Amino acid sequence: MSDNTSHDTRPDGGVPGDVVNREQQTDYLQTEINILKPSTPYMRDHLKVIWTGFTVWIFTTFGPVTATVLAPDIMTSTMPVLGFPWHYFGIAIGGPGGSLLLAAWYARKRDQLDEKYGIDHSAPVTDPGGQTTAADGGEEA
Amino acid sequence: MAAAVPLQESALLPEGLNVSFKLLPAAIVSAMMLSFLVIGFIYKVADTDDMWVAGRSIGNIENGMAIGANWMSAASYLGMAALIALSGVYGLAFVVGWTTGYFVLLIFLAAQMRRFGKYTAPDFVGDRFNSDSARAIAAITTFLIGFVYAIGQARGMGLVGLYIFGDPGIPGLSGYQSMMILFMVITIGYLALSGMLGATKNMVFQYLILIIAFLVGLYATGWAAGYSTILPQLEYAQLISALSAEFSEPFVNESYYLWIATAVSLAFGTCGLPHVLVRFYTVDNERTARWSTVWGLFFIALLYLSAPAYAAFGTDLYSQNIRPAFGDPGMTSAAADVIVVLATQLSGLPSWLVGFVAAGGIAAAVATTAGLFIAGSSAISHDIYANIINEDASQRKQMIVGRLSIVALGVLTMAAAFDPQAPIAALVSYAFSLAATVLFPMFFLGLWWERTNRQGALTGMITGLILWLIPMANEGAFGIVNGGAGLGIDVIATWMPAIGSAIVSMPLVFVVTIVVSLMTDNPPQETRQMVRQCHSPRPMAQDRTAEEVVARRTDDSPADD
Repeated sequence: MSDNTSHDTRPDGGVPGDVVNREQQTDYLQTEINILKPSTPYMRDHLKVIWTGFTVWIFTTFGPVTATVLAPDIMTSTMPVLGFPWHYFGIAIGGPGGSLLLAAWYARKRDQLDEKYGIDHSAPVTDPGGQTTAADGGEEA
Repeated sequence: MAAAVPLQESALLPEGLNVSFKLLPAAIVSAMMLSFLVIGFIYKVADTDDMWVAGRSIGNIENGMAIGANWMSAASYLGMAALIALSGVYGLAFVVGWTTGYFVLLIFLAAQMRRFGKYTAPDFVGDRFNSDSARAIAAITTFLIGFVYAIGQARGMGLVGLYIFGDPGIPGLSGYQSMMILFMVITIGYLALSGMLGATKNMVFQYLILIIAFLVGLYATGWAAGYSTILPQLEYAQLISALSAEFSEPFVNESYYLWIATAVSLAFGTCGLPHVLVRFYTVDNERTARWSTVWGLFFIALLYLSAPAYAAFGTDLYSQNIRPAFGDPGMTSAAADVIVVLATQLSGLPSWLVGFVAAGGIAAAVATTAGLFIAGSSAISHDIYANIINEDASQRKQMIVGRLSIVALGVLTMAAAFDPQAPIAALVSYAFSLAATVLFPMFFLGLWWERTNRQGALTGMITGLILWLIPMANEGAFGIVNGGAGLGIDVIATWMPAIGSAIVSMPLVFVVTIVVSLMTDNPPQETRQMVRQCHSPRPMAQDRTAEEVVARRTDDSPADD
């Protein structure tokens, strides 16, 4: 068997049930890992979440300070109610706070993905391999 | 020189700080350290099973607190507020860099690392790239990170120790130097004890003590001085306009580029730090690894959202009571590094409370240094000595080498911290540049691109080490070049400052590793399968590594290759 055999070479899945089926027949040990070329339905979904999060993260982390360079007058004006200068608030509270919210969002998204693909982390795993399906699709899920 | 905050003073004596022996605070420091040991001992007794396996049942919140405790060193506890007080908006790059990095760690590395099942940097690099040389380079890097990181901690111990115990008047040593040496010796003793007691289990307790000390100090200071009531983390905003422009005006202290370079270096350095990685060993599955990272970031953010408030209170109190904090002469970096303690003292709080806050700072420094020294010494005794130099080394010999390397680390750190030329947070950030440059690219590519091979990793890591050393030599960090004057090449100082050199060197290491990997052979099938196993969404058994899963599968179907 060639080492990068994948059951799924189509760029996108059909109906969701189909995708889940194909995922369950995927043998990860036979699936090439390249962050730029996700080769299973699950990894495609997962990487979509990862890249979305990462893009937003770049904005929450470096956005406020960059905006301060671009529009110093607006950014250094004082916020109503709280009384912070906008740039100070955006950097000191927006940066860490943004990452915290993003982290919670990502962890939830991953849980939803697990649910979609019928993966359960709560049950203790006794099968030492952690792989349940044969690579050649011998079992239908 | 573009390095941040070049302020220094020869005596290293924080002005305005009430330096004298204080009985109650001294007792509190001792009690705090002792309680860490006692709790460790109780856990040890309660837990007769194998510590590691039992440890894996730790849940989200507990592990999150452990992540927080692990993270909170003197750099967070003291250095953060110090840099904000000294450098204003530039100091916020540390708040941002030291928190947001956890999100990158979460999405790219946490769960995959958990599945890979190797939790020390040398183990991961050695096994992923099938190379003892790669393991050795990672071990040397781990040792270097421990050393550089610890210098900042030693400075913190010396300065706060001076407040609590005063100047013992040892001939030939300044008060700071005597206290720094005393506390480093205590740390090594603590390490010997906590190593026996399995201190990893008491990190939840450690976190709680540290965060309570910090927050109680902040709330009391804000209350006593009339700055804040229930939410100082937001109320300090009212103070900002009253403070000098240096506190809040952007880019008056340092440039935009240096801000970004620092934040990038710190954020990605977070993902490459060996002692952060270990926290994923103690969770039962990758879901817990994810959620405990979220909780960890929350617990860290509690401190990091409070530090600017402390800095604002401290700066204002300093200006009122001592002299204007900004301008000439302004606040020295020694005073800034104890601003958390100083602010509490200046607001007129009783000395036991000031002592409690100070004790938190020392405890944070000692506990983190102990963790770093354990990682550093195991890198030498396990990864270099037992794995490479003497493969038949007995357990006893390994232990002797391990202890010797702890002593070596201690002596090196004391020597470098004798007359430190930068504030705590800046010293620590050199270690982050190193982690972001040498280790993060190996973790990232190693887990996300199976084609990364031994040759690529070796070239990449060596390139990274050299790139890290260039700005260090250029700026004469630790007095190594030209007695601390450094090479002083302006272009490098501007675009590749030691404090944030990873912004240039990390992408270069990525490119070198990728190009060399592409020019050389595919890594072996088993290695690639290990990487694949890290990305399968299916649960795997708790005590299993990707390597074992692959080995088992290979035995089942030898025809696969």
